[in-house]
Amino acid sequence: MTTSRPGTSGEADEAEILAELTAMIRQVLEGYEVEEGEVTMRTRFGADLELESIDLVTLAGLLQERYGGAVNFAEFVADLDLEEIIELDVGRLVGHIRRCLKASDGVGTR
Amino acid sequence: MTVLDTGRVRLHVQRLAPPDGRPARATVVLVHGLLTDSLASYYFTIAPALAAAGLDVVMYDQRGHGRSERPARGYGLDDAAGDLDAVLDGLGVPGPVHLVGNSYGGTVAFAYALRRPERVASLVVVESEPATPAWAVKLAGLLERVRHEMTADEGAALAWIAAHHGGHTARLAKAAGRLVRDTSIATDIPAGPVLDDAAIRTLRRPVLALYGADSDLAEQAPRMRALLPHCTAELVPGLRHSVLVEAPARVRDAVLDWVGRHGPPEAAERLPAEVGPGVRAR
Repeated sequence: MTTSRPGTSGEADEAEILAELTAMIRQVLEGYEVEEGEVTMRTRFGADLELESIDLVTLAGLLQERYGGAVNFAEFVADLDLEEIIELDVGRLVGHIRRCLKASDGVGTR
Repeated sequence: MTVLDTGRVRLHVQRLAPPDGRPARATVVLVHGLLTDSLASYYFTIAPALAAAGLDVVMYDQRGHGRSERPARGYGLDDAAGDLDAVLDGLGVPGPVHLVGNSYGGTVAFAYALRRPERVASLVVVESEPATPAWAVKLAGLLERVRHEMTADEGAALAWIAAHHGGHTARLAKAAGRLVRDTSIATDIPAGPVLDDAAIRTLRRPVLALYGADSDLAEQAPRMRALLPHCTAELVPGLRHSVLVEAPARVRDAVLDWVGRHGPPEAAERLPAEVGPGVRAR
């Protein structure tokens, strides 16, 4: 992410982040089998993927490994209660990651 | 994900440090409750704010829970206190820590503070009580009821939970069902060891006890005040047992205020009971 072209990079960023997040979700679910293409922006962590709260802790760890301090999961969920966090959809998290990466200007995130 | 092998069991641990590499003012260790609980109950409530306020925050999944290993046996209070000890050793946590325990996690904190007082600066317990004979009877009944319901007709039990408490709670209950069916937890926990009043009175560490005003446990507040030498007990209005997840801001503020006022025990503050068994403040 050395260059950023406003207007054209938005969708590409989103697709790329969604793909990375999907890979992390698969890792969290391990043996649970998430089928290809099953994770979309509208997929909900709890109701659709059947993630438990402890699975989201694991996901937060993977985000930290991937993006370092640039993406702060704790900050993202700070104003939500546990039930609201569980019912978030993937799109909300993708949006948060995009905003964080933009704010940090892509420096040190790759 | 950090997994700590204690030699007896593999435990999932999480540690949050103050931001920007600031040195921590103190260490808090957050101990979760039984069956459907895990460190996630802290991770998504008070833990980030405690770290942001300058504390070193340690969380772990108790054995059988969350992402920790689920051995077939070894779920007594001594095992739980031993796991807490091993977490502190394994992470190299310096100095006395503030223990925060929710529900059964508070019972573990009481047991640990009596066993290793030199490692404990203070306790904050939420909806919790020490392991007394009455506690053991209550827990035996609760665990046996869960074991029975999740064995007799798990499908019906989970459907009822999903309808009344939502899908996420039902998924947690399913994991709890595996724990009570596949391990000796339902018989190990009530087996103690339990404490009589005299033993509880020997706890010299300051204790903050929070209860939901509408909880069955609210009656513990006056009892703890009377029994413990240094106890502040408070009721949170309008709540039952789920104080931590329903009033996280209240618990967070209480912990921060408490930890700020209770530094590690200084030499001058060391209490007579530790000098020798003959000296009792009562």
